[in-house]
Amino acid sequence: MNPILTGFKEALTLIFNLDRELLSIISLSLMVSGTALVLATAAGLPMGAFMGLKKFPFRGVIISLMNTFMGLPPVVVGLFVYLILSRSGPLGFMGLLYSPSAMVIAQCILAFPIVSSLSHAAIVHVAPVIRQASMTLGATPFQVTLNIMREARYGIMSGVIAAFGRVMAEVGAILIVGGNIAGYTRVMTTTIALETDKGNFELAIALGIMLLSLSLLINMFLYVIQKKGMVTIVR
Amino acid sequence: MSLRLNVLNISKSFNGKAILKECSVSFDSGGVHVLMGPNGSGKSTFLRICALLERPDKGEVRYVSESATLEKDISLKRRITLVLPGVGVFNTTVFENVAYGLQMRGVKKKEIEEKTLRVLEFVGLTHKRDHNALVLSSGEIQRLGIARALVIEPEILFLDEPTAYIDQENTEIIEDIILNMKKQGRSTVIITTHYMERGARLADRVLIIQDGQIIDKKSV
Amino acid sequence: MLFLVLIVPVSAQQLETTSAERIRCASTTSTENSGFFDYILPVFEKKTGIRVDVIAVGTGAAIEIGKRGDADVVFVHAKEQELKAVKEGFFVYRRDVMYNDFVIVGPDNDPAHIKNVQSVSKAFKHIAENSSFFVSRGDKSGTHTKELTIWKIAGIKPRGYTWYLEVGQGMSKTQRIANEKRAYTLTDRGTWLTLKDKDNLEMMIVFEGDPVLFNQYGVMIVNPEKHPHVKYREARKFVDWLVSGEGQKAISSFKDKHGNQLFIPNAYR
Repeated sequence: MNPILTGFKEALTLIFNLDRELLSIISLSLMVSGTALVLATAAGLPMGAFMGLKKFPFRGVIISLMNTFMGLPPVVVGLFVYLILSRSGPLGFMGLLYSPSAMVIAQCILAFPIVSSLSHAAIVHVAPVIRQASMTLGATPFQVTLNIMREARYGIMSGVIAAFGRVMAEVGAILIVGGNIAGYTRVMTTTIALETDKGNFELAIALGIMLLSLSLLINMFLYVIQKKGMVTIVR
Repeated sequence: MSLRLNVLNISKSFNGKAILKECSVSFDSGGVHVLMGPNGSGKSTFLRICALLERPDKGEVRYVSESATLEKDISLKRRITLVLPGVGVFNTTVFENVAYGLQMRGVKKKEIEEKTLRVLEFVGLTHKRDHNALVLSSGEIQRLGIARALVIEPEILFLDEPTAYIDQENTEIIEDIILNMKKQGRSTVIITTHYMERGARLADRVLIIQDGQIIDKKSV
Repeated sequence: MLFLVLIVPVSAQQLETTSAERIRCASTTSTENSGFFDYILPVFEKKTGIRVDVIAVGTGAAIEIGKRGDADVVFVHAKEQELKAVKEGFFVYRRDVMYNDFVIVGPDNDPAHIKNVQSVSKAFKHIAENSSFFVSRGDKSGTHTKELTIWKIAGIKPRGYTWYLEVGQGMSKTQRIANEKRAYTLTDRGTWLTLKDKDNLEMMIVFEGDPVLFNQYGVMIVNPEKHPHVKYREARKFVDWLVSGEGQKAISSFKDKHGNQLFIPNAYR
C-alpha cells in the first residue's frame, strides 16, 4: 500500500493507543521548545522594548541585525552551540552537549531574534501615541513603558507564537547538539528524520501528521490573537 | 493652592520654520481660556509645550504656586493634563481607560471605582463602561479623552481641538461638558480651536495666535 | 546571550531523566539503523544497570566526537583510522567486536557486467570504464573510507566524473539514491538486508566475497588522561561485556526480520 495512506492509518492507531514512547517524544518536544521559548521571551521581550523605546548608538544596525537573525539557519546555530558546548570548547566543563539543555540553548538562540524583532515591531507601532497619552495622564517613565508593552501585547504574542512554531519544526540544530539519543534527546523532528533513514516511512509520516496538527493548532491560536489585535490597527 | 502658568518668550521651530516666535502669556488660576487660530498656526505646539510634552527652543514655561516656581517633575506633571486631538485610547475597556490615571497614582481600588463611575456619568458614557474603547465613535472617543483627564482632577486642563472632526451632536455634548466645568470652577481650562464663533461662546478669555505670536483679546 | 547560557542548565535540569549511570557511545548510522543497538543495549543495561546513549553519525564524525571528548566510547568500523587515533593517544583499550562485509549493489540488469569479475577492484574498474552511475557516501564514514581504498587499489580517481555522485548522506539514503538513479553503490550487508524490502529497492547484490570487503567493527574508550570527565569504569564494563562470551552470543543472536544474522562476532582477547 501507499506509504502515505498507511502512514495515516498508523498515525491514527498510534494516537488512539496513546503509545508511551510516542507520548514521551512529543512531551520532550514540547518541553524543550517550551523552555527555550520562555527563556527567549524573557530575554527577547526586554530586548525588543529596548530597541523600540530607547535611543542608543548603532540602534539601526542592531535592529537590522536582529531582523536578519530571524532567518538564522538552524544547522549553523547547531554547529555554533556544538563547538561551544563540546568538551573541547569554552563551556565544555559544564558537560551539556547531547542533553536536553543543549537543545534548549540552541532553540533559544533561534527564537530570541524572532521574539525581539517582532515585539520590537509591535512596540514601535503603538509607542508614539501611547507614550504621549500615558504621559499626559501622569505615568512615570516606567509606567509609560509598561503601558506601551501592554498595548503591544497582541503583536508580542504573535511573535512568541511564531517563534514557537519555528523551534517546534526545527531539526538541524537539535540533531547536532542533542545527538538524537533514544529516550533522552529524541524529539518529534529528529525521530522523523531517523525513521525515514530506517525506512520506517509509516511511523515517520504518523509523526509528521502529528507535528502538522500541532503547527495547525499553533497557527489557529495565532490567527485568533491577530484577529483580536486587529482593532489595534484601526487606531 | 492655586496653580498659575507663565509662558516667557518661548520660540519653537520645526525643520527651520519658526512656529512660535518669542511668545509670552500668563494664565491665572480658574476660568476657560480659548486659544484661536487657523490650522497650522502653532496652537498645538504651544499647548504641548505648556503641558510639558515638548521643550521650547528658547524661553521658558514656568508653573507658579504661592509665588514659588515649581520643579517640572512628576508631581507637577500630575497636577496638569492634556487631551490630545486623537486622544490615544488604550486597547481595553472604557472603564479601564478612565481609571488609568488613578491607577498610575496608586489610588485605592474602591476610590477608583467611585470616581471613574462619577466621571463616566458626567460625560455620558456610563452605558459603554464595559465596551472596548477602540470601537467607540470619534465623538465618544473625544468624550472618553475628557473623562480620562477629568478623573484625575487636574488643576490645569489642556484640550487640543476637542471638537474637531466630530459631529454636531457630540460637539454640543462636549461644549456642555466644558460649560459645566466652568460652572464648577475646579480647573483652569485652556482650549485650542479653529472654530472661532463656537469657541468664543465658551470662553472667559480669548487669545488669538497669529504669525507665531499670541495676542490677548482680553476678557469677554 | 551569555546569561541565558548560564541559567539554562538550572531550568532544564528537570528535563533530564535521572539515571544512576549512563555512558555515551558515538557510533555509526548503519549500526543504529539496523536496529542493532535497540536489540543489544537493553541486554547490557539489564545486567549492569548502565545505560548507553547512542549518538549515530558517520564513522569520521564519531571518531571526531570522541577526540573532542564528547563521548565515552566510540563504536565504529574503520580499523585503520581507529588504530591511528589510538596511536595518537585519543583513545585507549580498542577491541575488535564483530564484522560483517560490504557488498556492491546495483541495478538488476547489471549494465557494467561486474557479476562475475574476480576482484572488487576489477568491478570498480568496470564501472568506471562503462561510465555507470556510482553513488558514493562522500561523508568520511567507514563505508566511504572502504570505498576510497578500493578506488585506490583499482588506480582510479573517480572524483569529478559525471557518473560519480557524492551524496554526503547516511547509508540508507545513499541506497535509496542509488536505486532512483539506477546506480551502483557500496553498502554494508546489514543495511542492505534491513532495507532492501522496506524501501522496495529494485537492486541486487552484484558483487560480494572479496576479502577486501571485510568490514571489521571495533570499540574503543576515549582516553581519560585527555578528558578526565570520561566515565572510564562504566565504559570499560561495556567494552568488556561486548567482547565477553555473553556479549558475543548476544551479537550473534541479533537477526533482522527475515532471520538473517547481520553481524558475526569475532572478538578475541
